[in-house]
Amino acid sequence: MLDTIAIEDRHVPAVGLANEGFIRDAKSAAAINGMPGVRILAETIPVECTELPIIEAGVAAAMDDIIDALIRPLSEEEAKPVPEEDGVADRIAFRGTIQEVNRFFYKRKWTDGLPILPPTDAAVAEMLEGTDLPPDHLVGKITPRWGKATVEKIAINAVMAGALPTYMPVLIKAVEAMLDPMADYGTHSVSTGSWAPHWIINGPIRHDLNLNSGSGMLSPGDMANSAIGRAMLLVIRNIGGAQKGIEDMGVLGNPGKYAAVMAENEEDSPWQPMHTEAGFDAGISTISVFFPNSYSQVWPYATNAKGVLNAITANVIPGRTGLFCVVMNPANAKLLADEGWEKDQIKAYISEYARAPAYKHPAYWGAMAGRQNNQWIPLNANDSQRILRYPDWIKILVAGGPGAFMGLLTGGAINDLDWVTRKIELPANWNALVKKYGKI
Amino acid sequence: MDDIKLTGLYDVHNPWGEQDPVTLRGLNARIGGLAGKTIGLFATRSKLAAVPIMEAVERQLQAREPSLEFSWFLFDHNAHIADTEDKARFAEWAKGIDAAVAAVGD
Repeated sequence: MLDTIAIEDRHVPAVGLANEGFIRDAKSAAAINGMPGVRILAETIPVECTELPIIEAGVAAAMDDIIDALIRPLSEEEAKPVPEEDGVADRIAFRGTIQEVNRFFYKRKWTDGLPILPPTDAAVAEMLEGTDLPPDHLVGKITPRWGKATVEKIAINAVMAGALPTYMPVLIKAVEAMLDPMADYGTHSVSTGSWAPHWIINGPIRHDLNLNSGSGMLSPGDMANSAIGRAMLLVIRNIGGAQKGIEDMGVLGNPGKYAAVMAENEEDSPWQPMHTEAGFDAGISTISVFFPNSYSQVWPYATNAKGVLNAITANVIPGRTGLFCVVMNPANAKLLADEGWEKDQIKAYISEYARAPAYKHPAYWGAMAGRQNNQWIPLNANDSQRILRYPDWIKILVAGGPGAFMGLLTGGAINDLDWVTRKIELPANWNALVKKYGKI
Repeated sequence: MDDIKLTGLYDVHNPWGEQDPVTLRGLNARIGGLAGKTIGLFATRSKLAAVPIMEAVERQLQAREPSLEFSWFLFDHNAHIADTEDKARFAEWAKGIDAAVAAVGD
């Protein structure tokens, strides 16, 4: 819908077509971007439709409306829109008991559906002890609403999530990382693909925060993993304003959106930690983000390098491409390292041998013909095609507990993406904070 | 946090992110009639249905008004045109049309 607005901004009357299920999304985008009256017409053509008769019929059904929208004179409201009152700008939103606060917040869609802790003045002030930045420092503006992620707003949402002040340096850099254009948060946060931010934390801060990098790392039960992920969920929801079914058009949703925070088990890894691949010293703490939408778990086909690597290459999803993360448990990592495998070799192997015949790729069916360059479109049904085109798309994260299972996180290639990693800046009183909160 | 109790009243901060004020813009005047006009057809190839939808729009509009002319703008990104390297080409295209129909395929 923004493209229809862009045409209007070039002084040309325009009409946008959208599937009927996306009209609320389009109207919201139009209002947020300053042109609430833009003429958006609902059509009934299925999203990503491949059948030309259905498309022809859908356009025919909308044709009278298209012509009408091109020629019908503007109403006064369309010509000169009047701003609506926001009504939620008060710094203190509400006064009530803990139950009343929760119901008030829930009704405004300010929670994840679970109870929150009340962000009182005292609680927010305590949270702000976790950073040297002033409360009004602007970390960034989060789409789709372009809400201002000030340090104070991040702290408010962190309190609600049950975070500790020591998590603040991580949350601030998480917002920064997410807003890096290479992470393409703007698309991921609203896409029908239900992409979920997955956070990877490296460096000494893992121990300061008691982050779990071992057994059940991605399951509930660890305060730091859970509350950091939940705080970012609330930041996205409340500062960015992405509401399900309006701006966030994820078809199915994704449980990873609750909290997907991983730490690397650097101590049990035979290789250099992941953040050193981004140029950071091993002693620096970092947070990385990417947006997978699928998670599968596989175990080695044999207890050797060949068995581990074949289990991975055989389970990369055909028809999907983009950033990809192998969550490798320490035992399998050691097994590979003992046979001389380095991370770069593993990535190159996966990229080369995770293949599928062409007919298993959308491109063969024309489904991604415009999205891929020509050399990627297969000619013959049984041509062997790489699924992950570039080794650089792949990361190997050593984490998890005893056992054989490995995790495969399948990311997206919506636009030109890359892994994004940020150095975590610690406040001057860090040691005192860790002493105070590190035993909780 | 230390001050949270199950009873008592809490004054709670607003978690909703503030926005900069947005200047609202009105729409451009409509074309009044189709005869002799040039209609821009805008579609991104990153979404499967966008181009065939606009091809159908072209066919059916032409059938309704044979004197119409069309000017296509296609681009390859699933991104907003204003954020891409195609924005200069887009601006040139917009100069040559009387009105436009756009589809992104969803």
